[in-house]
This record gives sequence, C-alpha cells and structure tokens, in this order.
Amino acid sequence: MAAVSGARTATPAPAAAVRRPARPSAAAVLLRFCRRKPLGAVGGFIMLVIVFTAIFANVLQTQDPIATNAADTLARPSAAHWLGTDHLGRDIYSRILHGARVSLLVGLGSTAVASLLGGVIGLLSGYVGGKTDLVVQRIMDILQGLPLLVLALVMSAALGPSIPNVILAISIPIMPRAARVIRASVLSIREFQYVEAARALGVRHLRIAFRHILPNTIGPFIVLATAQLGSAILVEATLSFLGLGVPEPYPSWGRMLSVSAAEYAQKAPWLVLFPGIAISLAVFGSNLLGDALRDTLDPRLRGA
Amino acid sequence: MASWHFAVAVWTALAVLALYPAGSALAQTPKPGGHLNVMLREDLPQGFAVHETATVSSSFPSMPCFNNLVIFDQLKRQESLDTLVGELAEKWSWQDNYRNLVFFLRKDVKWHDGKPFTSKDVKYTFDVVREAPDAPAKLRINPRKDWYANVEAIETPDASTVVFHLKRPQPSLLLMFASGYTPIYAAHVPPASYRTACMGTGPFKLKEWRKGEYVDYVKNPDYFIKGRPYLDTIRYLVIENRGTRMSALQSGKLDVSFPGEMTKTISEQIKKAVPQMVVTTVGQTVSDNIIMNVKKPPFDNLKVRLAVSYAIDRRGLIQAVHQGGAVLGAALPPKPWGIWGIGEQGLLALPGYGKPADEKAKAKKIMSELGYSPEKPLKVEIGTRAIAIYVDMASFVINELKQVGIEATLKQVESAQWHPMATRGDYQIGANLTGLGLDDPDANFFENYACGSPRNYSQYCNEQVMKMIEAQSQEVNNQKRLELVLALQKKLEEDAPRPILDWRLDYFSNWPYVHNMIPQNNIYNFGRMQDVWRDK
Amino acid sequence: MKTYLAQRLGIAALTLFGMSVVIFVLLRIAPGDIVDILFSTGGYVNPSERAAIEKELGLDKPIWLQYVDWLRNIATGDLGKSYRYDLPAWEIIKPLFPVTLELAILSMIVAVVLGVPTGVISAVRQDTTLDYILRVLSLAGLAMPSFWLGMVIILALVAWIGWIPPMTYVPARENFKLHFIQFALPALAVGYRSSALIMRITRSALLEVMREDYIRTARAKGQGERTVIWRHALKNAILPVVTVIGIEFAFLIGGLIVTETVFNLPGVARFLVQAIAWRDYPIVQTLVMFTAAIVIFSNLAVDMLYGVLDPRVRYGGG
Repeated sequence: MAAVSGARTATPAPAAAVRRPARPSAAAVLLRFCRRKPLGAVGGFIMLVIVFTAIFANVLQTQDPIATNAADTLARPSAAHWLGTDHLGRDIYSRILHGARVSLLVGLGSTAVASLLGGVIGLLSGYVGGKTDLVVQRIMDILQGLPLLVLALVMSAALGPSIPNVILAISIPIMPRAARVIRASVLSIREFQYVEAARALGVRHLRIAFRHILPNTIGPFIVLATAQLGSAILVEATLSFLGLGVPEPYPSWGRMLSVSAAEYAQKAPWLVLFPGIAISLAVFGSNLLGDALRDTLDPRLRGA
Repeated sequence: MASWHFAVAVWTALAVLALYPAGSALAQTPKPGGHLNVMLREDLPQGFAVHETATVSSSFPSMPCFNNLVIFDQLKRQESLDTLVGELAEKWSWQDNYRNLVFFLRKDVKWHDGKPFTSKDVKYTFDVVREAPDAPAKLRINPRKDWYANVEAIETPDASTVVFHLKRPQPSLLLMFASGYTPIYAAHVPPASYRTACMGTGPFKLKEWRKGEYVDYVKNPDYFIKGRPYLDTIRYLVIENRGTRMSALQSGKLDVSFPGEMTKTISEQIKKAVPQMVVTTVGQTVSDNIIMNVKKPPFDNLKVRLAVSYAIDRRGLIQAVHQGGAVLGAALPPKPWGIWGIGEQGLLALPGYGKPADEKAKAKKIMSELGYSPEKPLKVEIGTRAIAIYVDMASFVINELKQVGIEATLKQVESAQWHPMATRGDYQIGANLTGLGLDDPDANFFENYACGSPRNYSQYCNEQVMKMIEAQSQEVNNQKRLELVLALQKKLEEDAPRPILDWRLDYFSNWPYVHNMIPQNNIYNFGRMQDVWRDK
Repeated sequence: MKTYLAQRLGIAALTLFGMSVVIFVLLRIAPGDIVDILFSTGGYVNPSERAAIEKELGLDKPIWLQYVDWLRNIATGDLGKSYRYDLPAWEIIKPLFPVTLELAILSMIVAVVLGVPTGVISAVRQDTTLDYILRVLSLAGLAMPSFWLGMVIILALVAWIGWIPPMTYVPARENFKLHFIQFALPALAVGYRSSALIMRITRSALLEVMREDYIRTARAKGQGERTVIWRHALKNAILPVVTVIGIEFAFLIGGLIVTETVFNLPGVARFLVQAIAWRDYPIVQTLVMFTAAIVIFSNLAVDMLYGVLDPRVRYGGG
C-alpha cells in the first residue's frame, strides 16, 4: 500500500568508477509526470487556474461581486457582464471568481482538517493497536456509517452558518476515511524489520511513529487528500444549495445555484450553467490530479 | 303584419347576439362541478390551527374549511366596512355607542360531523383566543390575543345570539372578525386537534392531508348556502421550489397562484408564455420596513435613525428588489390598495421621500456632524432572516447606507432565531417584513408600535404616541378617525423607529377558466372558495 | 460462518447504538428548537408559553434522560410523535419510503447498466481513444453535482423540446407514463454519478484480473478472447464490483436528498431536510437511524455475499 522507499538499505558505493546518476531536478520530475500522465497534467493545470483565480479574484473581477444594480437584472452575457447578471443585477463572472475562494477555502480547509485529524488518529490507532485500536475503529465506523451528506447536514444545522463551522461540518464525516487509509498503511509498515530494529534499540514509540512510519504514509496521504478535495467541494456546494452552507454575502457556487437559478432558470439559463460548470471543473480537476498522483505514487496500480 | 313582427324579432335577436360576445351570457352562469389545483409554497406549518399561527401558509389553505362570523365579500377586491357580509352571522349591530357588539347567528349551520353550530362555539372560540380567566381551553401559541384585549365578556343569551361586551368603544373590532385569521372553532373538539385535522362549518370538508404533498378538500353537501360550493374538489399542492411552482402554473398543473407569490417579473414571464393567463394586480398589506432598536446605541439617537430613513431611496428599492412591483406608503397601505394610508402628496413631506440625492445629502450631513463619513463609517450589524426576499432587500439597504457613512454588515439569521432575537432586542438594525392581518389601524398600531407589545421589535415606547393610538381606536366618527390615523402615521415616520420602505404588490394569477377567484388587497382574508367555479 | 455472522451483527448493533448517541446529541446542540420555530410561525415570543411547550414535549428534561426515554420508547415500538405534525413519526414517514426506494432502485439500475458495460469496454480496449473518452465521461460524471445535473436536464428539456416534466408527484396508478418519466429523469441524474464509480472499479478490477497468470494460460490454450473475458476474467472481477455496488447503494442517499428536492418528489430524503430545518427531533432521529441501519446492513449483506462468491473468504481467510 505504501511507497516502500524506507526499505532501501544503504549500499556502500563501490570505488569511484561508477557514476552516480544525478538526482533529478524538480522540473524534470514535473515534466516526466506530464508526459506520463497527461490527464493528471490537465487536472493539475485546472487546479492551478482555480487557485490563481481564488487568490487574484479581486484583481480579475470586473465588478464588485456584492454590488446590486437594479437597472440591469438578469442580463445576458455581454461585454459589460461577461457571464451575465443575476436577479439583483450582480455580475456573475465576478461572483464566480470569488466563489472559487469559498469553494477552495472550504474544500482545502475541510480536507486538511479531515486528513490531519484522521491521519493522526489512524497513525496512533494503528501503531498502538490492541483495544484502543478496536474502540477507535468502532468510533470511526459510527461516523462513517452515516451517509456523508446526512451527517454534514445535521452538523451544519447544529453548528450554524459560518465558514469555520462549515469546514468542521464537512471534515468530520470525511475524517474516518483518512483514518482508515493511514491506519492500513501503518499496519503494513509496522511489521517491517527496520521498525522492529528501532524498537529493539529502545527508540521511543512516539519517535518511531512520527519519524519512521509517518514519512511512508505521505504517499497514500496525498492520494487521499486530493481524492477528498473533490468530495469536499461537492459537499460544500450541496450544503449551500440546500441553504445550509456558507452564508451571505460570500458568493458560493452552490448557493448561486439554489435560489436565483431555480427561480429564473427559464428566463436566464446562464444562472444555472456557469456556477455548475465552475463546480464541475473544480471537482474534475482535483479528481484528475488525484488519480494521476495515486497512479504515480502507488506502484501497485501502475498501468491501471 | 305577422311577418314584419317576425322580422323585427329576428333582427333584434341577431343584434342582441352580436352585441354580446358569443356564449358569454351562458359563460356567466356558474357551472357546478370540477376540480381546482391551488398553489401552496410550503406545507401547512401547524395544520389548520389558524389561531395558533400568524402566516398566510396557514390561513389561506384553511379558508375552505372554516367560516367566520362575518367576512369581506369574496366577490369584491376591496376590504372595508362597506364590503362586510355575514357568514355565520345573519345580522349584527353595535349598541351603546360601540360598546357592545351583537351578532344574530344563522340557525341552519352544521359542523362537518353533523353537530349543530350554536353561539356556544363562538363564545368558546373567543374566550379561548382572548385567554379569558375562565376559558375552557388554552392555545399553545396565541399570536392575536391582543386583538381582543378590549373584550370584557362574551354573553350568549340564546343559541343564536352572541354579545361582545367591550371595555371601551372600538369600531375596529367588527373588522377583526372578518379576517382570515379569525375562523370559528368548534367547542366540541380540543384546539390541538386542528393541528392534524379540520372541524369546520365551511363549504369544503377536509378529505386528506398528505404531509409535504397536498391538502385535498371535497364539497360539503350540507353547506348552509344552498347551491354552494360549485366545485367538487380542491387540491392545494405543496411545491417548495419557486421555479417549480411557476412551471406548474405555466403548464396548467396549477390553476391558481398563491397570495403574495407572484412578483412583477415572474407574472410578466408567465403572461408571455401564456397570454390568456388572468393577472390581477392587488396589494398584499405586507410592507418592507427597517426595524431599529431604539434602546441601544447607535439607534437610540433619533438623528441616526433619521439618517437611515433619509439614506434609503425607496423608489430605487422598489425598482431594484421588486422591479416596480411595490408602492410607497407609511405605516398603513395607501389608496387604492388600502383605506388609511398617506398618499403620495403627504409622503413627500416625510423623511426619505424627496429626491434621493437631496435625502442622501441630509443623511450625510447628520452623520458627518456625528463624526462619520463614507471613508470613516459608523459600523453596525444589520440582521435579516435567511430567506431570499429578506436578503435581497437587505443587500440593497446595505448599499444605500454605505453611501452616507454607515457600514452595515449582513447577519443572516435562521427563521427560528429571528423572532426571539428581535423580541429580545438582540440586534441593532434589521431588514424586516410585516404583514397586517387586516388593513386596520388597530390591527397595526397595537401590534407593532404599542409599548410592551412582543412584536414591537424596535422596543419603541412613546407616551404621546400611545395616547394617539388609543384615541383613534375609540373614535367612532370615521372622518375624524382618518385624520387621527394620518397624523399618527406622520409622527411614526418622523420618529423613525420602523421606517416603512414600501408596500408589496401581488400579481395574482389564475387561468381564465377559473371564475370568481377574486384576490383582495390583503393576502390573509380571501380564498373561501365558496363561489369559485370553472368552465373547462 | 455462523459465529462470524453473530460477531458482525453484534458489532453492527454496537455501531447503531453509537450512531444514535451521536445524532441525538448533535440535534440538541443545534441552535434553535421546535419551540422557537412554533413561535416563529406565530410571529412572536413569550417565555412562559415557551416553558409550557417545552414541558409538554419533554424538552425541559436533561439530555441523558431524554435519550433514555427515547430508547425505552423504541423498545416498545414507539418511534415518537412528530413535533411539527403531532402524529406518530412512523405514520408520517411510511408513505414516503416507496418513493425513495423506487428512485434508489431505478438509480442503481441506471448505474449498473451504464457502468459495468462501459467499464468492461474500457478495460478491454485499454489506452485506446475509446478508453480515454469513456474515462473522461465517467470522471465528468463524478465531478458534476447531481442536483445541477438534474437542473440542467430540466432546462434542456424545456429548451429543446419545450416540455416541462411533471413537477408534482404522479402515482403510477394514475398515469404510468408520466410517473415513469418523473422517476426516470432523476434516476438518470443520480445514476450517472454512481455509474462513473462503478465503471472505474469495473475497469480497474478487470484490468487487474486480466493480468493474472490463469488468464494468460487460457489465452495460451487458444481460447477465444470473448470466452477469456466472460468465462474467466469477469467472474473474478465481479467481486469488487459487487462490493462497490453495495456500498454505492448506501451512499446514494446523499444524491437522493438533493434530487428529490430538485424534482419535487415526496420521498424520505427530502423530508429529512425539512425535518432538520424544523428541528423535528423524532422524525430526524427515526430517519437517520433507519438510514444508518440500511447502510450497516447492506454492508453486512455485501460482506456475506462476498463470502458466498469468494470461497477464500468464507473460511476465515478475509
């Protein structure tokens, strides 16, 4: 399951005659990745564009995303409003740009929280094993047994609308997945000889856990994180659509689809199309990237 | 000679037929039978327990089941004393200079389970609602207790007579009995039973309530008005999504819209798609307004409140948020949508109704005197319910305030938190909607501006105003009363605890084959469905 | 096998118990309760009336006591009375299940019918243009929010055919054609998404199996490609596919919630959203526990099925 780089034992280099191949530069690695996994490159590019958009939304916008304009409601896409306006006359293009901020913030935030929390729990639980492991696993099962959206819904209602609360509401249901993946990789590494050796040498458990095992879980961790990012973005959009996500005035792609879109959809279909395309692109990109990363870092599935 | 007569007859007949659009004479005769699909935008919040709620989602779908003592003529648009007709009461009269109100009840009315309706049911209903000391039952929630605060005692000399003894004269009381919020409950079932089923005397009996889906009514064969109702069945369909509601109306799956639902834009959209759709513009008696907590800074300062009132371009709001589908008015809706409101001329003298640039300048001046400007603004938090129509209004207001040096951040409050928050005064300023159950000064002022009233969200309490409210309530001369009410509205705008921004209009829509579905200028008081018929 | 089953059932019961605690507590942490909402429909607030209603509904008791009462009631078959509708929770929810079940089954059928064949084709024609196209299509399916897909379908129908699909529930008895269309559209929206996942798993499982030695042997033996795939490869690839189908069925619920909302179907999922908004604890608790039970037992069923299909698992090797 894990990239077993740690198992490489040091071989003393024979005398000077052998030329050690230079460590490949970061650029070379990137290029190789792009050539081998074109889809992943596309995904990475999409994510870069979205991140860029989110960071520079203020610069890229053509209008203030929350400024209303009575004279120009439900306008078609035009030179003045590249993607049209909504029922309050707000520029959809600028709102989509700022919506990227929210989606990324919530998506990355909840993925990070879930992965870190879940990762630590999985790491410790897998390493310690025994009864603790059993109890923790049951708790994870409980959290995971409830369908993702249902739990996020209830949590969101429980915590109330605000960005940190939405992040928490989405990360809690995702966390068990992270815990399970990390735990599985920990279980497989735990038995390796070098770990046993370290223990025999009297190295403290915590040190073993974090120094030796953790680095080898980075691979699955990255894979997990990118896979969950798409999921988190979708859940945020769904929560906003149902009215439980990020509150006004932050523009959120999901919320843009709920009220005004449904109401005026027939008259102004661009209200429905553009935010949805944005969400789909973001999830698409992160999924492509995640897939490619997994293929690269997880040799077992290479070629699949 | 005979042939000449014959010719005249034929030509006369032809002329008559030519003058009347073919068949319209026939079309005006109501045809019995048929089914109607009516729009509902949410499921009934508490079933048919109208006395325990204050929302049109409760009153409108319950109308077919109930009767009132009196009602506003359902075939007329305007609601006023002049259009009052009897339902369960045949005759009524004021006695002792508006201190006693006597109703003579019909003797031929039966409840839907066959039991006879008597004065006991009327006394029961109003003793319960006014929370009389010896009331036989209790309402769990009682929003309109204060409507009957002036009732001292209710007497039933016999099975078909009821006398309301008042503490002081109150001409408005009669109108309160006509509201859709004032159905008569049955004394032989507990009030709580109305949350699940409906025991009424009305033209339709409840057949089935599929939660979240629809309410089915079937004609009451023993209705006390012979030959009514015309329809056989009615179904109120619950459709929560607005776009879906409109599609359903447009495609004919719904025959009638919901009161207060159709905005100008949407009705134009539908009229374009269905040119034959009948669209009637009526008032809703629902206002957009700004509530400000007068007990907390900064809005305890009258000047700041006036600055807010000056800053908001009401005509701009009507355009921006309603696309023209609302009208200007003070605390009561203006003519022709209401009877008591201040007209355009009178409004021009009030804060906020002049030219927007001038008014904003006034506001900026006030704020700069207090040390604030658009560059260095006064920071406040504006709360509103987390519903689209509230949020849109609030967004506009925020934009307006920004221009005069008040920076308001929007705090969206979940509906369930809104009233506790507002009642407790846990806010500074809020964007609010207020619906009046009746276009009547008493129904409005006591609820929204009287000291200590739970719905006086601004916590406003002014002795002089209280005196004015009491004075107009007791004034039996209509002309004099109107003058008092106009003066009161002026004073309230000048004190600005709750500046009114506009009164919403409804573009009530129904398919042309639906007849006698007459919307009124108040969303709460029509929909009895007794005279509605269809010819397709 | 029997002890394994008993063990799993025991764990399932424990898990359900844990879930009940989580949901119970979460609901009561949420700001606002039914009393707030009731007053909100009345447009005012009154502290003494509030206290009376809380007492009537038992909300004034400490949380652990309310929990114990709830458990005790469940033991006697009493799932509680809806706070909003004043009727037994089961009575209100019962008519909603058939709608959601029908939608779920139809979605699953769409998912399998779309997903498995495309997965097979994609695996067999690995790395060809067709493979890439199919993979991109399936990735698109995973990326699109299903509620958005639903909205787009409706828009497309209106724009291209000028026809608005039925937006209020039409029972099958009333008009079968309309009823079928009404369910087919959301089933497509939800199923497309699930099909993407199934397609990917089918593809990767088949690819992995096709690399195995016995496949090469079969090919070397001269057996036709068709036989190789159908007789040997698929049979062994079916396991992970079945697993995913089973798991997907449970996770369908998320997609059902939004789809029922968009298409206005009176199902359990949509009702859950409304019940949460109303803080109707008995309804939410009942529905969530029901969903959880379905998820747990469908997982259990899949595991058992696994045991039946794969003899290696049956005898404790898994």
